[in-house]
Amino acid sequence: MEKKNDVLLEVKNLKKYFPITHGLFGNKKKYVKAVDDITFSINRGETLGLVGESGCGKSTTGRTLIRLYDVTGGEVIYDGTDISHLNENEMRPFRKKIQMIFQDPYASLNTRMTVGDIIGEPLDIHGLATGEERQKIIWDLLERVGLNKDHANRYPHEFSGGQRQRIGIARALAVSPEFIICDEPISALDVSIQAQVVNMLQDLQEELGLTYLFIAHDLSMVKYISDRIGVMYLGKLVEVADADKLYEDPEHPYSQALLSAIPIPDPDIMKTSERIILEGDVPSPLNPPSGCRFRTRCRYAFDRCASEEPLLRDIGEGHMVACHLMDEKFK
Amino acid sequence: MSNENIVLSKDMWEKVDTSLLQSDVIARPSMTYWQDAWRRLKQNKLSMIGLITVIILTSLAVFGPMLSAFEYSDQDLSMSGLPPRFDYYQVGDKQIYLHKEYRLYEVENGEFIQALPKTKEDMMKRQRVYDVDGTPVVVDYSFAAKARKSGDPNAKKFELRVGEEVLQPVGKSFNKTFWFGTDALGRDLYVRVLFGARISLTVALVATVVQFFIGVLYGGVSGYLGGRADNIMMRIVDIIATIPLLLYVILLMVVFGSGLKTIIIAIGSVYWVRMARLVRGQVLSIKEQEYVMAAQTLGASTWRIMVRHLIPNAMGPIIVSLAMTIPNAIFTESFLSFIGLGVSAPMASWGTLASDALGGLRTYAYQLFYPSLFISLTVLAFNFLGDGLRDALDPRLRK
Amino acid sequence: MSQKILDVKNMKTSFYTHVGEVQAVRGVSFSLKKGEALGIVGESGSGKSVTSMSVMQLLQYPGKVKEGEIMFKGDDILKKSKKDMMNIRGDEIAMIFQDPMTSLNPVYKIGDQIMEAIIRHQGLSKAEAREKAIDMLRLVGIPSPEERVDNYPHEFSGGMRQRAMIAIALSCEPDLLIADEPTTALDVTIQAQILELLKELSEKIDTSIILITHDLGVVADVCDRICVMYGGLIMEEGTAEEIFYEPMHPYTMGLLKSIPRMDEESEDQRLIPIPGSPPDMIKPPVGCPFAARCPYTMKVCMEKMPEYSVTETGHRAVCWLNHKDAPEVQVDTGVKRGVK
Repeated sequence: MEKKNDVLLEVKNLKKYFPITHGLFGNKKKYVKAVDDITFSINRGETLGLVGESGCGKSTTGRTLIRLYDVTGGEVIYDGTDISHLNENEMRPFRKKIQMIFQDPYASLNTRMTVGDIIGEPLDIHGLATGEERQKIIWDLLERVGLNKDHANRYPHEFSGGQRQRIGIARALAVSPEFIICDEPISALDVSIQAQVVNMLQDLQEELGLTYLFIAHDLSMVKYISDRIGVMYLGKLVEVADADKLYEDPEHPYSQALLSAIPIPDPDIMKTSERIILEGDVPSPLNPPSGCRFRTRCRYAFDRCASEEPLLRDIGEGHMVACHLMDEKFK
Repeated sequence: MSNENIVLSKDMWEKVDTSLLQSDVIARPSMTYWQDAWRRLKQNKLSMIGLITVIILTSLAVFGPMLSAFEYSDQDLSMSGLPPRFDYYQVGDKQIYLHKEYRLYEVENGEFIQALPKTKEDMMKRQRVYDVDGTPVVVDYSFAAKARKSGDPNAKKFELRVGEEVLQPVGKSFNKTFWFGTDALGRDLYVRVLFGARISLTVALVATVVQFFIGVLYGGVSGYLGGRADNIMMRIVDIIATIPLLLYVILLMVVFGSGLKTIIIAIGSVYWVRMARLVRGQVLSIKEQEYVMAAQTLGASTWRIMVRHLIPNAMGPIIVSLAMTIPNAIFTESFLSFIGLGVSAPMASWGTLASDALGGLRTYAYQLFYPSLFISLTVLAFNFLGDGLRDALDPRLRK
Repeated sequence: MSQKILDVKNMKTSFYTHVGEVQAVRGVSFSLKKGEALGIVGESGSGKSVTSMSVMQLLQYPGKVKEGEIMFKGDDILKKSKKDMMNIRGDEIAMIFQDPMTSLNPVYKIGDQIMEAIIRHQGLSKAEAREKAIDMLRLVGIPSPEERVDNYPHEFSGGMRQRAMIAIALSCEPDLLIADEPTTALDVTIQAQILELLKELSEKIDTSIILITHDLGVVADVCDRICVMYGGLIMEEGTAEEIFYEPMHPYTMGLLKSIPRMDEESEDQRLIPIPGSPPDMIKPPVGCPFAARCPYTMKVCMEKMPEYSVTETGHRAVCWLNHKDAPEVQVDTGVKRGVK
């Protein structure tokens, strides 16, 4: 698929810190640095996957981009405009362009509203359609995600997980967005249903020219749907590369370990593959290691890793890695 | 048992198009949250009894007093202290009732016709003579003093005589004029008790309305805003909650005078506090739900989120709290009236009725019985209903 | 030939709810040899978890095993008294669950929870049990076990809690370990650690394992044999190689076609989802439960439940396509063997 190098979203040095107060009068503040200075961009029409394990900050990144959280630092430039510090009124027009799909199909729909109202709510909020026209749009959306018109009068609890997720997608599509952030949209679904939803997302992307940020921890699925993938660890982006390239040639030690840890449904391969087993657990985001955050679990760590934080650099063809080992390899 | 032995007809091997089966058709009928809750509530027998009792009580309060000939303030001293059920005697073709204070009344089929005229009073012999349609009837209460001294509760206290003949009661009858009897001032207790019901229900209504509008909104906003605003708002709530109700009511009485108005102001200004806390807690947890985040990403205003998402999903605990605070409010009003801080005479609240009844408790126990019965029934009914509602509205117990 | 340690025969489990009988398991038979690792794969509603709970006799009201036999080491444990069952649990059969936070009691120290099982089943003194608990923690790879034995669950991370669960489960060296989705709630690098641990330990202590999961990658890694469940029944059973390279049932094939693989080029991959959704177990379908979603459904599939066809190696599947009279059908098996 032809991809123009037309940048839709540019994220520069994004930071999101959550304060934790303690001390007798709540005056001492510590920060959970959930997202700590990340930079990346997404081109129009492409899918960027964002992976990492729990606590890495990928979900926080998604939510900060869409301004569910306030931006602690850095810039979020959408189609040329910095939306990181807009107030709610200024943000409203962007809410028609940037939408989100959530993880939990059981919690992302208000059980007191009919499916029709859920899908119609964005139309009401932005005054996009009323009466018959509104009804027609709702029916069209339902059919587009593979459901029926009569489902509009039903309630969410009458649907299965996969169907609810499709309702959530219909809701996001109601405003005709350009960019959709998918926050773990299939993690809570059964295996055979995941493929249904992912295929639908891909079809919609082709049909409507959508751009996706696909956040998930299931790297196999992310690789399937994404053009490029970013790997996060403890609030930092450690590697960004084309999906296939990342699998063939992961440069960052964490990416290598992450990839080797993923079980492949093929007994021959599993019996012969050499797994890189990481020692220990992820450090606490309240107190991340100095320098490179991954150094405590990295088998290649050396002195410089503790004193100096590695920056993301391009090692060729848009493959970005944040690791001191790259200096040696790619002089 | 292998496959091999089964032989099937040729058409069984035809391919079937399953695409229609896979279309997402929902077979079961739609049931909203409320329909499901109602179905569950109906299954809870005690709650339904509670609900029916509440409905009956409300109907009685509204329509009941119309059924009686009396107003709540009508007094007739000659008719004071009449019980709801009594023994009567036969003299000639007239039936008479002997009052605890040794007066005679003419009754007919339970109806009280009149107080009979006293023709003679002999203080020395402790006797009275009444004229029953020409026949003199002697009420001899000289036995009363001896009975008291002997301490025997069953000792004879009086004798009713026509001539030499000692009369015995010929029957028991329900009081058809004053269904619940009368109080010390001859006021019909039935009307007064139902009037008390009106007062209690008014208080309940005020408490509910105040809780719902002020409490829910305050708590909802506080929970949604979070942070410092929430902190301040909740500290205000804490302060109000610590005010001792009694002192507060007394203060209000000094300013506004006593009466129903004061009670309403007192209850209204204090009862929203519990609901505010409850709703704030609910909102705090609901606002983390993904559908609220979805509404935010859609660009919904704070008002819309509160009214369409937060509050409807908190309705369960809100309704339960309403149902459970009502008996509380009713009891508080009764208590305040009982100790004299409530409605003033001649208005009848269950509390004042109880308080009035205390004086003649030994002799006229029924005067305390009815208000107490009604307070207990009402409080129980709301409690059962509230319990049932809590279970019926709990989303986790669904299906 | 090692002997069978568990032999489940035609087990049926139902939940008698107020809306009707939910037939969660409708006739499941499988066996397990000593030292073997069996995987039970299925999606939600397949009955895989209920199967394991039935074997452990841990079904909550209103669930009940209504038919069948569960032969453990030669005895039918369905006929055992509650007391006997309590002795068996923890000692001879142990279980680990999905969520380590809720399966550990937060108000007791980890050491105490391990010791509880040891003391109960092996009659050791407190001091001896504590030593053994520390050994178990070391065995499952928890650093500084002498100190950590006095920690509370909230002081452990998710991966460590799961290791502690394994320590509790293996402390009495059970013959059978049932692991119900043990790594589903864990990060993938931690999952790799735990699966390595399970493999090592089962070799060291010669414990048989039943691993219940929805993740085909996990069973490819750990299991010798696999049962694929759907709609309360076993659709197919075979060795790991047989299931992945020679699947005999359309559901297995459908699963293989619908899961993405890391080692495939994205361009070549096409995920083929299984259309529709799992059936309602209150009114289970007459005939094959997968018929509504199967691309090869025939009239007979809708009406009659097929019998199992078995190969000489014991690989069996319940599908009309394998019947001798069935028409020849081109089947896309979804097999991708060592793609790279």
